[in-house]
Amino acid sequence: MEEYPEELRTPPVSLVSLVGCPELHAAISKHLHSEQPPINTLALPDFSKVSLFSRTPKGDDPSPAHVVPGILKRDWLLKHRTRVPSVLAALFSSDQLSGDPAQWLQVCSLLDQIKAVLRSRNIKFLLVVVVPHGDDIGEDRMLALRKRAELDSKYVVILKPDEPSELKQSLSRLGSALAELANTYYRDEGKRVKLRIEKKTSSSSSIELHIRYCFKVAVYAEFRRDWAEALRFYEDAYHTLREMVGTSKRLPAIQRLVEIKTVAEQLHFKISTLLLHGGKVGEAVTWFRQHNGSYRRLVGTPEAVFLHWEWMSRQFLVFGELLDKSSAAITNISSLALGTADKPLSEWESRPAYYYQLAAHYLKEKRACLELALSMSETGNEMDNGAESVVPSAYVGQFARLLEQGDEFAMQSLTDEEYIRFAVVEGKRFQDSYEIIALLKKSYESYSNLKVQRMGSFCGFQIGKEYYMAGEFNNAKQLFDDIASLYRREGWVTLLWEVLGYLRECARKYGTVKELIEYSLEMAALPVSSGTDTQMKYRENGPAGPASLARREEIHKDVFGLVIGESGLSSVERNDDLKITLDNPLHLEIDLVSPLRLVLLASVAFHEQKIKPSAPTLITLSLLSQLPLTVEIDRLEVQFNQSNCNFIIMNAQRPPLAATADDKQGHRVETSSSLTLSTNKWLRLTYDVKSDQSGKLECTSVIAKMGPYFTICCRAESPASMEDLPLFKFEDRVETSPTKDPALAFTGQKATQIEEPDPQVDLNLGASGPALVGERFIVPVTVSSVGHAVYSGELKINLVDVRGGSLFSPRETEAYSLDSHHVELVGISVPEGKDETQLDTDEINKIQKSFGLFSVPFLKCGESWSCKLEIKWHRPKPVMLYVSLGYSPYSFESTAQKVNVHKSLQIEGKTAIVISHRFLLPFRQDPLLLSRIKAVADSDLPASLPRNETCILLVSAKNSAEVPLKLLGMTLQEDNEDTGRPCSVRHEGEDLLEPALLVPGEEFKKVFTVISEDDSSKLTIGTACVTWTRDSGSKAASVLTKQTLPDVNVESPPLVVSLDCPPYAILGDPFTYLVKIRNQTQLLQELQACTTCLRRPTDAQIYRDSSKILSWVSTLNCCIYYIHISLEASLQGG
Amino acid sequence: MIVCVAVVGHQNNPLYIQSFTEADDALKLHHIVHCSLDVIDERVNNPKKSGPTLNETFLGLLYPTENYKVYGYLTNTKVKFIVVTTDLDVRDADVRNFFRKFHVAYVDAVSNPFHVPGKKITSRTFAERVSTIVKSFGLSSAG
Repeated sequence: MEEYPEELRTPPVSLVSLVGCPELHAAISKHLHSEQPPINTLALPDFSKVSLFSRTPKGDDPSPAHVVPGILKRDWLLKHRTRVPSVLAALFSSDQLSGDPAQWLQVCSLLDQIKAVLRSRNIKFLLVVVVPHGDDIGEDRMLALRKRAELDSKYVVILKPDEPSELKQSLSRLGSALAELANTYYRDEGKRVKLRIEKKTSSSSSIELHIRYCFKVAVYAEFRRDWAEALRFYEDAYHTLREMVGTSKRLPAIQRLVEIKTVAEQLHFKISTLLLHGGKVGEAVTWFRQHNGSYRRLVGTPEAVFLHWEWMSRQFLVFGELLDKSSAAITNISSLALGTADKPLSEWESRPAYYYQLAAHYLKEKRACLELALSMSETGNEMDNGAESVVPSAYVGQFARLLEQGDEFAMQSLTDEEYIRFAVVEGKRFQDSYEIIALLKKSYESYSNLKVQRMGSFCGFQIGKEYYMAGEFNNAKQLFDDIASLYRREGWVTLLWEVLGYLRECARKYGTVKELIEYSLEMAALPVSSGTDTQMKYRENGPAGPASLARREEIHKDVFGLVIGESGLSSVERNDDLKITLDNPLHLEIDLVSPLRLVLLASVAFHEQKIKPSAPTLITLSLLSQLPLTVEIDRLEVQFNQSNCNFIIMNAQRPPLAATADDKQGHRVETSSSLTLSTNKWLRLTYDVKSDQSGKLECTSVIAKMGPYFTICCRAESPASMEDLPLFKFEDRVETSPTKDPALAFTGQKATQIEEPDPQVDLNLGASGPALVGERFIVPVTVSSVGHAVYSGELKINLVDVRGGSLFSPRETEAYSLDSHHVELVGISVPEGKDETQLDTDEINKIQKSFGLFSVPFLKCGESWSCKLEIKWHRPKPVMLYVSLGYSPYSFESTAQKVNVHKSLQIEGKTAIVISHRFLLPFRQDPLLLSRIKAVADSDLPASLPRNETCILLVSAKNSAEVPLKLLGMTLQEDNEDTGRPCSVRHEGEDLLEPALLVPGEEFKKVFTVISEDDSSKLTIGTACVTWTRDSGSKAASVLTKQTLPDVNVESPPLVVSLDCPPYAILGDPFTYLVKIRNQTQLLQELQACTTCLRRPTDAQIYRDSSKILSWVSTLNCCIYYIHISLEASLQGG
Repeated sequence: MIVCVAVVGHQNNPLYIQSFTEADDALKLHHIVHCSLDVIDERVNNPKKSGPTLNETFLGLLYPTENYKVYGYLTNTKVKFIVVTTDLDVRDADVRNFFRKFHVAYVDAVSNPFHVPGKKITSRTFAERVSTIVKSFGLSSAG
């Protein structure tokens, strides 16, 4: 598009001219240019230059007899855009007008001159009167001026440059007046030319003129922004032009066609621009298609064919560029309804990439034809001289020879031969390859952006080919590599073959022997022989050659000749480095995604999934190749993750290679009678393998050595999870399984598990009975070797809640355990005096609440070692104790293999001592507690204690365990030592002198007296502490069990009754029963007492002196009654 | 005249591709068929454009190249048929008709118990039938 002249590419802009008052021109031009639509200005320095606009005298309209020399004049459009204004605005300052008569006369004569010039061209005229600030111009003078200029009042504009607001107003007035006049001018001109068209068509005039007039009308319409009319006339011109083909006889044939095509190109460009400008993408595409259709066949004479292809290429390029420009404005092309029902357009036709691609295609055609034309012209240099003076002539699409005749230049028309020579010379100047690459790249990028990868790949392929031909192998290779991966993925073998052929040649030219061999091997292994399109003949086939079995075999032989070292590659051009030698060995890696899997596929299956250490197992190694010819392998090396299992298979038919025997020392060497790989046939080899090391044994890779310096390392694959061969999976061929055993082919794995050796060490947990809460429960652990020595033994201890869940509950807050583990591992103790000193400093000894790690010293075979775990229960809870011993039976090395022994034990945790307590009142003394009267009587603990009275506290500890316990002591501790106890607690008698034995279920009781001394209503008794130990032979640590006694209420009793009577009575002998009632209130209390017999109500009479006692007890006095009772029977007074 | 027919499988891999030209441009035709898969992808992934033809197997003109026209057809098992013609004026009805016959031949070929689905079609009978259909297409459009 850039090669089109500027005036053609941009929409026409009206042109006006300014003359007079040059100081204002800049301001006016600037304003006009910023108008919408803009107006271009042609400023004339003085009035004398107006004469430039006068029409050059020449013969009027060419007479019908006169032959029109061309269709469009080359400079007509430029003239109208830059040289011929539509309006002339003459500026006069007011002093010029209102000055003396001489000045006025001058103005008048100027006006006359201007009018005369303008009339010849119908240029419109406008007057601007510049009035400086503070000046004014008379009404009559203005009128005179208007009359003189023969202008309407609105075309005389007054400009006041000194007042900004006025200036702006008058400028915009000037602008609109100019726009109006320009519009009128272009309309009038258009009408004038249209009249001519009508006149001409009636009088069968020359077709060229018709086209020219149509073009002019259209351009004038464009000046007026009347796009519809412009389009109509351009189309008219275009269609008329098409009719010229074959009818016109004006020029020599080739040049005639060139002219027509050039004009058609311009018209087409205008039409497309207008259509796209109007957003009619669909119409534009349809139009382009018509354009393409009507000119594509107009190839012209054979020697000028390249001109046609060049022209075609330009059509596509320009339209693509136009689309590119407009598609930015059109958001979604694909959503546009394209085409009509009978001729639907595909969405690709609205994408610029499509056009760039075809432009490149035609350019390639052009290049081919041009090369042909060049080769035909023998006298190259001679014609160059002749072509130098050929220049474009005055008409679009025509060329002429420029002849110098003294000072004059004359145009001489060319013959076709001369023209062709000129065109060939011109064509030689261009580097078509780079142009083609640029076009394809545009297309390629555009497709990549659209994620249209296949079309992109095709473009890429073409670019690669161009690079290849241009000798830029590196660029070519990159592109080809990308494309090849797509074709591999989708299985387009023929396309892949072609690309690989190029890649192979690139590698050869570049001298990279590894890539050369890789590409060659891949090509040789491609499934092309069985393709359906085998009779394909490649005219323009690349370096790959025809895709056939024969060609594959040829490549195969080539490449193996090279790797075995029999030959260097025959057609090496650059150097002879392409040899595989000792200094330059070649090693290929084939992994699971490599395209070379076709070349060599290694499937490895262990026959067993689990084996014992040191027990041999079978392994089947299957190799498959799709190379067209059989391949002999010299040596196979099978590699495992445990390198001491690696082994080598030698080909018995090959002489042992000197270098191989010693480089892998210590590895097993097997010999196979034949290591020959045939096409698509599994080579199966079965050997046994054994490993002493437990864990995973995996076959990692198989290295095949062919020839002295060539190895292929092929990653081992499990038959069970083997991917299909790429490309071959689409082939209709017999599927064979890598192993003979079909089950193994389905389930076989390249890895096997080697079990641990059986442990020969006993681990004993000698725990007895349930554990008791609070004690440090001892679990003896014994490690005794019965066959293995124990190196770097390690004991792992785990405590796990039987019911699952953790051994602590964060919700329960206990004073004694901050982190509230219910069961914890307290320690591990080793028997004293034994091995203690041997423990190394670096040995592990870690203990946590529920986890412990402990080192076991070295044990010789037959020795044993023991330790004790101390576990403490804080809650009665069953736990699971897991103990595992890991050791290595042979050495101290950290890498040595470990053997593990596990043991577990469930241990119940039980509460040993249950503490309970109760309060008793002193013997025969009964304080009256008011709260107790109301309270429910069934509770045996007094809800409250009398103040200042002696109470008795009975604390009992019961053995709830299943084993006898020894009670060492029981005390009542104050809770808070510092404040002092608000009561006095005394224990009557001494503490235990020697431990009390408690059999299961037995209870131990201790009596305390409590006297509350404080006035507070609450009394804190303290904590009952019981020290005990298991009654076992050994000396066990004592355990302290604590229980906080609840608080009791204290209240003052109003009355205290004490009874006193002899411990026994003698029948018939009266005794005295003393009842003492103490009133502790401030008031008199009325008492009523009676005695009743508990045992025999009928013997009421026994009471000699039974009476109702009613008396008043005064405050703080005691009232003492003596009751004399004589008993007839054995009675107890109540 | 039909110059190339192709059957393309689920992974966009060619199952059958046959060109019918005397000229040596088979590789180019392969490229054209391969490129047209992009158009099919686009048509299938943006079905709204072909609104009324939602369940239509015939995909219509895929892509015009400078000398060829490419038509596509998508079976209900998502196997693609592609045909490349050199005729510039082809009636859709003719192409539809061609595809219908081609589809029948394809169904017969893959119904062969010895054919493994997803593999290339190597049946000679199928090749012969296709070539007959291709020839008859030329005749019917000429007539």
